[in-house]
Amino acid sequence: MNLLEIENLSFQYPDTEKKALDNISFTVKIGEFVVICGESGCGKTTLLKMLKRELAPHGEKSGSIRYHDVEQAELDDRTAACEIGYVLQNPENQVVTDKVWHELAFGLESLGFPTDVIRRRVSEMASYFGIQTWFRKNTNELSGGQKQMLNLASIMVMQPKILILDEPTSQLDPIAAADFIATLQKLNRELGLTILLVEHRLEEVFPIADRVMMMEQGKILLFDRPEKVGTQLRDIRADHHMLAGLPSAVRIFNALEVKAPCPLTVKEGRDFLSEHFGNVVDHLDIPPYTHRDEVALEMKNVWFRYERDLPDVLRGVTFSVYEGETFCILGGNGTGKTTTLSVLAGLNKAYRGKTLIGGKKIGEYKGSALYRHNVALLPQNPQTVFLKKTVREDFQEICKVMEYGKEERQTLIEETAGKLGISHLLDKHPYDLSGGEQQKAALAKMLLLKPKILLLDELTKGIDAHSKENLSGILCDLKADGITIVIVTHDVEFAAVNADRCALFFDGEITSIDTPAAFFSDNNFYTTAANRIARHLYTNAVTCEDVAELCRLNSIAQKPESEAVYG
Amino acid sequence: MNTFASYHPAVLMLYFIAVLLIAMFTQNPVLLALALLGGVSFCTLLERPKDFLHNMAFYIPLFLMIAITNPLFSHNGVTPLFFLNGNPVTLEAVLYGLDIAAMLVAVMYWFKCYNHIMTSEKILFLFGKVIPKLSLLLSTALRFVPLFKAQIKKIHQAQKAMGLYASNSYVDKLRSAVRVFSAMLTWSLENAIDTGSSMKARGYGLKGRSHFALFRFTARDGLLSGAAVFLLALVLLGTALKETAFSFYPRITALSASPIAILAYLAFGLLVFLPFLLEIVENMRWKALLSSVPKHGALSLSDATPGKDDKK
Repeated sequence: MNLLEIENLSFQYPDTEKKALDNISFTVKIGEFVVICGESGCGKTTLLKMLKRELAPHGEKSGSIRYHDVEQAELDDRTAACEIGYVLQNPENQVVTDKVWHELAFGLESLGFPTDVIRRRVSEMASYFGIQTWFRKNTNELSGGQKQMLNLASIMVMQPKILILDEPTSQLDPIAAADFIATLQKLNRELGLTILLVEHRLEEVFPIADRVMMMEQGKILLFDRPEKVGTQLRDIRADHHMLAGLPSAVRIFNALEVKAPCPLTVKEGRDFLSEHFGNVVDHLDIPPYTHRDEVALEMKNVWFRYERDLPDVLRGVTFSVYEGETFCILGGNGTGKTTTLSVLAGLNKAYRGKTLIGGKKIGEYKGSALYRHNVALLPQNPQTVFLKKTVREDFQEICKVMEYGKEERQTLIEETAGKLGISHLLDKHPYDLSGGEQQKAALAKMLLLKPKILLLDELTKGIDAHSKENLSGILCDLKADGITIVIVTHDVEFAAVNADRCALFFDGEITSIDTPAAFFSDNNFYTTAANRIARHLYTNAVTCEDVAELCRLNSIAQKPESEAVYG
Repeated sequence: MNTFASYHPAVLMLYFIAVLLIAMFTQNPVLLALALLGGVSFCTLLERPKDFLHNMAFYIPLFLMIAITNPLFSHNGVTPLFFLNGNPVTLEAVLYGLDIAAMLVAVMYWFKCYNHIMTSEKILFLFGKVIPKLSLLLSTALRFVPLFKAQIKKIHQAQKAMGLYASNSYVDKLRSAVRVFSAMLTWSLENAIDTGSSMKARGYGLKGRSHFALFRFTARDGLLSGAAVFLLALVLLGTALKETAFSFYPRITALSASPIAILAYLAFGLLVFLPFLLEIVENMRWKALLSSVPKHGALSLSDATPGKDDKK
């Protein structure tokens, strides 16, 4: 039976030329898990908002949306509020009240349920989601993952029939994200809840989806079972932007010409490789790690705590980064990665140990000397970098502070914007940009400082795969310009592609430093999906490209042999 | 100290009003001494032992200052002790100073206790009964303020790390604060859109909104409020019959020792030490429960049931 029937739906925002949604028709069956993906600006969010009447944007709409055979406009207020649940992207902004229990009760209060019913439903839901341990806490004490879980739970108490989620995990770290996705899967499987999920991190959701919808420019490009979507997309256009966002197993499969069912998970990927490829060649020749002699920055046995009574956050951090190197610091939440960056940027002062920037103690930089052509820190939330009404005004201000000449300013801004591909965004309000665009604009602002050392905090948070590839390219250019880059990240795939060296941060100190190939092949869990797929065959394949390359080498090496056997 | 705080907010409010009402409007030294003693012991229960000394370091000088100030400026009374700059310092004024000091410090201690016990959610609950909209407004405000503060801090750090207004001069600091604040307004509006969507998505604005709270009025709440009202009535009775009336000027009146006055003193003593007593009773009950559990047993409920232990 169909829960949602969308027919010839078109939508156009006021004062725009292009339709945001263009003649879309599809149906969703009861109990289906549908994943919607597409590049940013393809109309995913608009589509989702149209499905929830209360959130539908203003504009010109045609076509019909039917829920349980009832036209959307004719739905009763209560049913519309209650049965269609909607979770937004940013975990922080959705929380309305100050207490966890009040947040859970909020929806039921709106619907006017009596205290007894609310009490029962809230306690039931809190138990199901494991919220009981933080039930009485203030909402601002929760972690991002907990907040998003709370948002989901406070929708679920209203007992919706369909759950609509707009990139709910984009602001979460990978572990919290995986947790959240697992909860969705549980809801789908145990309660038969219908789920419509927009995601750009497809590694986890692709295998559990019943169907995947690929959107492009307001239209549905593909809507089929996940294993088909992956391969069909490649056949439509071999350089489609969304290909980079597919799960590693699919990407490896797509890079090779093999006639077989498409693998989705790491496990299927492993089987697929074992079946079709040998390991005569079991490693790639990677040029040995070299570095320049000059040390750009160094920490020697650095200890730090935020307040005297609080425990140490950094316990003897020791590492050095050479000039022109890209250095990635990986590690779990709350291990002190971001704190390390803040000490390097002079925002916090260590109480023991030495921090050297360009061979000089950090304390010896007076005033803003540290930030003049020296160190620049790009914080986790790029929004915090902008204060003006347009990106250009912000850029001009920073140029003024840096005391560049008038003409120099103009060319510098144009040049930097061109380099990062944001020239068309200069006159927009910084908050109107998408996550990836904001990140690039913020990075551009950092580059206007002409720093020698760039400190980047969670550069890839909330950014789709294509923008990530874009950023990789930019980092590569910066490296060629001789800038030293330190990245703190959860994103192992991104680190594997970009880093010269990777470091694992744990319990307030750096426990291992190595080149990506050695670092990830030595790790069993904390490694890329591609490495997990191929580690039983190849010793140093870390990225999907590495694996595909090795597979190709092996099939060439194998050919004569297999012909001999069969021939 | 959880026993007292776990009572229903309405009962707690009633209790504090009862105690503060008497402490603030009486001049009777016995009642004030009781209020002071009760307040200090209650507060000590609520705070860490370390805080007791901190408090004393603040309140003893305060007490003395008020006590000394009065006789210096007030020369009423009929019993001069000595002359200062040609003005008499009277016994009545000295005693009145001590009395007023006791009252002020007692009331301050009771407000400290009030702050510990009446947390924001309890006050919200009480207001919510009267004006539901106000309670939701306060709740969202309480949610938003920490968010706002955290964001300001983040922006400041981000700006500082770009070398903007990083110097320590006041002009720079002020300019930076103005810049950040205006950006924060945009940020708040931007975020409010999301919060609004989230509220709308959960049916906010539908007719017949109800009000949920975790608090339940149980028998023991009734018992405590009954006790508080009864004790308060006894004290008020003493006041109404002028049995506990007391004045310092021009001459100190004698303390009445009539049965009704003694009853009022006893009632007030019981009232102010009620939280203290409840805590002790609860502690003793807890100890008794623990001692009925065999030493090797864990503190889980299943071990506490005697039947199971016997079989073991």
